[in-house]
Amino acid sequence: MYRSIADDQGRKAERDPRAATGRGLRLRMLGVIVGIAAAFAVVSARLVVLAVRDSGDLVIAKADPVATSFARPDMVDRNGRLVATDVALRSLYADPSVVLSRDELVEKVSSVIPDIDGGGLRRALAEPDRRFVWVKRGLTPSVAQRVHDLGVPGLDFKKELRRAYPLGLLAGHVVGGVNADNRGTAGLERFIDRAVGVEGVHGATYTSSAPVTLALDIGVEHTVEDELALAMRSYGAKAAAGIVMDIDSGEVLAAASLPGADPGSPADDSDQERLDRVAGGTYELGSVMKLVTLGMVLEGGTRALDSIVDVREPLMAGSRRIEDEHAAGRPLTVAEVFTHSSNVGAAMLALEAGPERQKAFLESVGLWSPIATEQGPVKAPSVPDRLGRAEEITLAYGHGIAVAPLQFAAAAASLLNGGTRVTPTYLKQAPGTARAGPRVVSEETSRALAQLMRLNVETGTGKRADVPGYEVGGKTGTAEIAIDGRYAEKSVISSFVAAFPMSAPRYLVMVSLFEPKGTAETRGEVLASTNAAPTAGRVIARIAPQLGVMPKASAVAGLE
Amino acid sequence: MRLDVVAALFMTIASAFVLYGLSYDTRLVEERVHAREELAARLRSDIAVLKAERAHLARPERIETLARAQGMRPATDRQLAQDTAPAGIITGSNPSQ
Repeated sequence: MYRSIADDQGRKAERDPRAATGRGLRLRMLGVIVGIAAAFAVVSARLVVLAVRDSGDLVIAKADPVATSFARPDMVDRNGRLVATDVALRSLYADPSVVLSRDELVEKVSSVIPDIDGGGLRRALAEPDRRFVWVKRGLTPSVAQRVHDLGVPGLDFKKELRRAYPLGLLAGHVVGGVNADNRGTAGLERFIDRAVGVEGVHGATYTSSAPVTLALDIGVEHTVEDELALAMRSYGAKAAAGIVMDIDSGEVLAAASLPGADPGSPADDSDQERLDRVAGGTYELGSVMKLVTLGMVLEGGTRALDSIVDVREPLMAGSRRIEDEHAAGRPLTVAEVFTHSSNVGAAMLALEAGPERQKAFLESVGLWSPIATEQGPVKAPSVPDRLGRAEEITLAYGHGIAVAPLQFAAAAASLLNGGTRVTPTYLKQAPGTARAGPRVVSEETSRALAQLMRLNVETGTGKRADVPGYEVGGKTGTAEIAIDGRYAEKSVISSFVAAFPMSAPRYLVMVSLFEPKGTAETRGEVLASTNAAPTAGRVIARIAPQLGVMPKASAVAGLE
Repeated sequence: MRLDVVAALFMTIASAFVLYGLSYDTRLVEERVHAREELAARLRSDIAVLKAERAHLARPERIETLARAQGMRPATDRQLAQDTAPAGIITGSNPSQ
């Protein structure tokens, strides 16, 4: 059949030369098509062989993951000063298929990097199908050079982004930390992951995201930490906490808890010594709570500052006898209940208000329910299940309710800023931003509380917190610590909550010293008036100029 | 061979040369871009390290020590002059001269 057609075409070609050329072209095309088909057939056959062959011979190498680390935005303080940034560092890895001797590798690398897990590294290198094993991530350039100089086969470097904290331990609890992949694990670093966003990157590719601007002022933060450290040494305190807050916006300018935490090596959560005492612990804060009690009383309108409270007789709260440590021996005015820090007076005023109003007021200033900041949830307050007479009495002077210092500072700011509730924030707010929450007290009550605070520093228990020119106002609180269900007299938390300048309060300062000892300077006392108050005063004297608060020329005798 | 076939052949060869030239130039430009990108990445890395170093050197703890060594300290109300004070005290000039 074909032959006959070919013969036929041959005959035609003899007759027509064009037909002969067309036949040759078709033959060449046929050849090309056959060639391509053959190539595809070979590829297909190879694929079939690979598919049906025993998979035991196939090796899937465990290569490095696609995104080895995360690029994070910088963290800067409210004045643009760097708090945390990414830097590219070399990370060391090994390719087991190239390693000649695992023991030699581990031994030599350990001589330069002593803290590597030799046993774990040996096991990882022994895995037959492994092509990538991290040895140590985030090496400094000098260590990387020393490892390179070892000349061990199978070792190589990969550049990765690592988080750097140039300020060291400063604001460590607030800043938080990251893990080996540069992901936030605590504090504001975790907030950045959650709310701002980080970019998974392969290698050392910096993010183009704008920096996260914190409310913190690192100058103020340093001052607070410096003074708290001095106070811990001077008064033998086990720990200390300090807060500086913008009274209107709730911006936290400083939040210090000593002993501090290193963001570069985040502390174990179970490390109680390095607990964040600003937001991570709740404490009975003692008489600083009288600020809240007086706010409730004045806002209720049933009492004026000059009305009389007879505090001569002690009160009974269940089986407990409540009396004033330094009793005046005479009836006190409402203002004197505050400046003399009378437990009996505060308790009587709370009893007059009644449990419903007391609970409602504590709720309105934000001391009854949990709160949260960008750093995470603040430790929930411990409040009584029901408000009986004993609870009403003890709550009035700051026992029976345990709150985190940050939560109390926010409540105090709400009472002193004109009377609107503020929520603490670690992020800088636009200038003039009024983050006014619901009204908690009238402006008149707020002014009266500010006057009381100032009066307490001028004539009451807060005298040692005074700083000439800055109109400091404040309230002391010395709370005995409950140990095994009993209050220990000499084991106390002494606190001072202050604000300045009291003619128009702008900043709130809170200082708490945990278990201070009596010293010669304090004449053996552990009262807040002798340790926390002067500490707060020293803090204010140093931070006020940094914050641009001009001192009132109250006692200018000439220029220095 | 017909003229149009010769012209097409010539055009094909010419195009091949042009394409090769373009490809070569493109690879050259790509190489330059890559070099620039590497330089930019290196500079970005250097800037990040320098920023961190600057922040470390300018940390408040260090600046405070240096400032105190220079005799500086926080301002107090005694460093302010009242507006009723004589002009000479405020400006530091001597009115008698």
